[in-house]
Amino acid sequence: MGVIEETFAGHEVSRASLDNCVKCTICETVCPVAKANPLFTGPKYNGPQAERFRDGASVDHSLEWCDFCGICTLNCPQGVKIAELNEQAAAKMKAQNGVPLRDRIIPETNMEGMLLSPIAPVANWALGIRPLRVAIEKVIKIHRDAPMPTAHTETLAKWLKHRKKADVKATKGPVVFFQGCAGGYFETETSKKSIEVLEHLGYEVFVPKQSCCGLAKQSNGLFKGATKDILNLCDNLLKFDNELPVVSSSGSCIGMVKHEAHEIMGVDDPRLENVSVRSRDFCEFIMEEYRAGRIDPSEFREIDLTVPYHQPCQVKSQGMGFPAIDMMELIPGVKVVESNEPCCGIAGTYGLKAERYDTAQKIGKGVFEHMQNYNEGVGVCDTETCRWQIAKSSGVKIVHPVWLMHHALGLSDNLLK
Amino acid sequence: MTTTAVSTTAARIGAQPHVVVIGAGIAGLTAALRLRRAGARVTQVTKGLGGIQLSQGTIDILGYTPDRVSRPLDAIDDYAAAHPAHPYAKIGSDAVRQGVAFLRDVAGEEFLVGDGEENVNLPTAVGAVRPTALIPPSMTAGVLHDGLKVVIIGIAQLKDFHPMLVAQNLERTVLPDGGRVQARAVMTDFEPRPNEFDASGLTFARALDDPKTRRTFAEGLKGFVNEGEAVGLPAVLGLDDHQAAIAEISSIIGAPVFEISSLPPCVPGMRLNEKLVTTVKTERVEFILGSKVIGRTAADGKITSVTVGVAGHKREIACDAVILAAGGFESGALRLDSHGTVHDTVLDLPVKLPEGIDADTLTHEDYWGKPQPLFEVGVDVDSSMKVIKDGVPVFDNVYAAGGVLAGATRWQDKTGEGIALGSAVKAADAVLAGLPVAAPAAQTAERN
Repeated sequence: MGVIEETFAGHEVSRASLDNCVKCTICETVCPVAKANPLFTGPKYNGPQAERFRDGASVDHSLEWCDFCGICTLNCPQGVKIAELNEQAAAKMKAQNGVPLRDRIIPETNMEGMLLSPIAPVANWALGIRPLRVAIEKVIKIHRDAPMPTAHTETLAKWLKHRKKADVKATKGPVVFFQGCAGGYFETETSKKSIEVLEHLGYEVFVPKQSCCGLAKQSNGLFKGATKDILNLCDNLLKFDNELPVVSSSGSCIGMVKHEAHEIMGVDDPRLENVSVRSRDFCEFIMEEYRAGRIDPSEFREIDLTVPYHQPCQVKSQGMGFPAIDMMELIPGVKVVESNEPCCGIAGTYGLKAERYDTAQKIGKGVFEHMQNYNEGVGVCDTETCRWQIAKSSGVKIVHPVWLMHHALGLSDNLLK
Repeated sequence: MTTTAVSTTAARIGAQPHVVVIGAGIAGLTAALRLRRAGARVTQVTKGLGGIQLSQGTIDILGYTPDRVSRPLDAIDDYAAAHPAHPYAKIGSDAVRQGVAFLRDVAGEEFLVGDGEENVNLPTAVGAVRPTALIPPSMTAGVLHDGLKVVIIGIAQLKDFHPMLVAQNLERTVLPDGGRVQARAVMTDFEPRPNEFDASGLTFARALDDPKTRRTFAEGLKGFVNEGEAVGLPAVLGLDDHQAAIAEISSIIGAPVFEISSLPPCVPGMRLNEKLVTTVKTERVEFILGSKVIGRTAADGKITSVTVGVAGHKREIACDAVILAAGGFESGALRLDSHGTVHDTVLDLPVKLPEGIDADTLTHEDYWGKPQPLFEVGVDVDSSMKVIKDGVPVFDNVYAAGGVLAGATRWQDKTGEGIALGSAVKAADAVLAGLPVAAPAAQTAERN
């Protein structure tokens, strides 16, 4: 039994919090994985309790069921870094036991985008073929029914080059738009709408050269690669500017920049600090601007619509309340019904994996039913992979909150396109 | 399409006053909802989930003075007169009565029955007899009275509930008003999920939300119940589908069924917490979970904003008033440092020590003796729940409610929820009286 020498910079900080645990069980009651699968012994056992026995090595395999949604840390009234401890211990376990090929392939989101976009029609067609999906499941263990992104030949970068810019004067200053890999290659529509909304509201939007934030690598235990990625992203953004607000409609990627890289992997770097403090989730940014009196709500035309909404776990963990609900309900006539559910089960890449698929579907059951029960043709969720998961499992069209904003500002005739 | 539709958010953010409520236990949730329903803009900040789900799901008002109390609301004022340092001396029975009525109205009869006028006796998970005022309907068949016959049924896979202990203790107890109950115990075997042999009450409750599982469970219990017995079970009879679960289980067994609360995760507490938190969110209190208050700004004798540490940055929330309802030592809102000084870790308000007590005498060494003086440390308030030091308000717009208030050993006199409800109502009403609610403005700038 070799003790792993490598420790993560954030580990001691998380460890220092475990003595705050009073064993109140609140984390156990909110954990979506323990609810769905008895093989996961729960956040309290795996986190503050097991951590006392980990002297370097990480040996309890029930930990592998954790989906790192962070709901335990979010709800802990004592400030114990439960999810962080678990993610660090899981990364260590992978370092000991080796990382499966699949878990090294999935997180290469930037590369996937670059490879698939030019051959988008072929790629989309291929991913829709059942026998091929079965073969993929057999070879690299990505579940045959797991949601897959749709590639587009027109990446966001291409669109930015040839699009017609709106004829609105930028009166409210410049912002940087952080697209995220999915927003750059797969769900470009949300990025386009975000940029158009910001411009229409009077912001000058810059989309400098950027790269992957490393979130998918982090959640697959590949901390070294993820650390490299996040700092590379910071370098790219800093090359452009070091003080403008960084706004993103990729709800989980911006969470990585804001706090996850620092709190989970312990990345302690002035470059990250500079970018993280000025990073805002799209809806959070709009609400900040609204509260400061810089957005006029009379600009929004009425949409008579009730929408079911699920706030993803990685957006919840940013501890900012429900800015998406607030933003959507700025639009007269819009009524939002919140899911009150912790997680949809995809948790980044967790729900794609063949051996996790059934558990992930159980975790998300409440979210899927919520969307089915309350939708009037559309449901809302802030992050890409969650939208793909919820749409696939519920059969309801799921969009980012900005789609409503875009429509309310008269920038699209059809809310769903 | 009409043009009369209003923007919910614009109306909410335009509302005045803007009150920041810190904490989401019974005091914080009650205060937030009362303010919101009166038209105020409320931002609720809570570091984590509140403590309601760690409680038994019942509402204590006053249990012992130290004599057992039978009419708690009526007894408050005399108790307060005899204990001038107790929070009830500031709160008074009227506010507690209003608080109880408000909560009952919010929760509804599916969650709480009783009006607080009379205490009932409930069996605890160790078979003690506990006075409390409002109870979930699932416990009514277990209200102890002379001649009651009960069978207490445990489940081998649920290690936190021991039917023999409950039944034998009940059997040997003379009830406070005289009389006895007849109790016997049965231990059964039931796996909430296949092969799960050490499960929490929550796991059972979720399993019994499933109609098929609960039918199997109830069918298995039928043969253990004698004619004329009420059936006492651990409080695990469903979570989301509790009403249907208990009705069906009772009907299959053919006898009244009641729940007995056990260790956390305590399912009746969870049900009540879920109900209140969902209500607060649905009614558009801005509910910020998972972030701490890390600072405050004061000017002209008022707190003008609180600073919240959200992921990556600080959010400054400008406010007209603040209600501190973050709990006491148990939640970390109060902290004793190594020099023997107690701090309010949230707003750094001054705390009050019991009369005649200093840093050296906060605790005594008589473990089984009187309650430790430390337990009574908390913030001092006037009769409007405004935080004071030596009789003078610390700020003009800062109030406190619930477990942070000085002067009570709540688990001994059983006043916890009564203090929380009464102080929440008083604080909320004082804020509203001092700061008139304004009609929503079309747009209000710089009200972050």
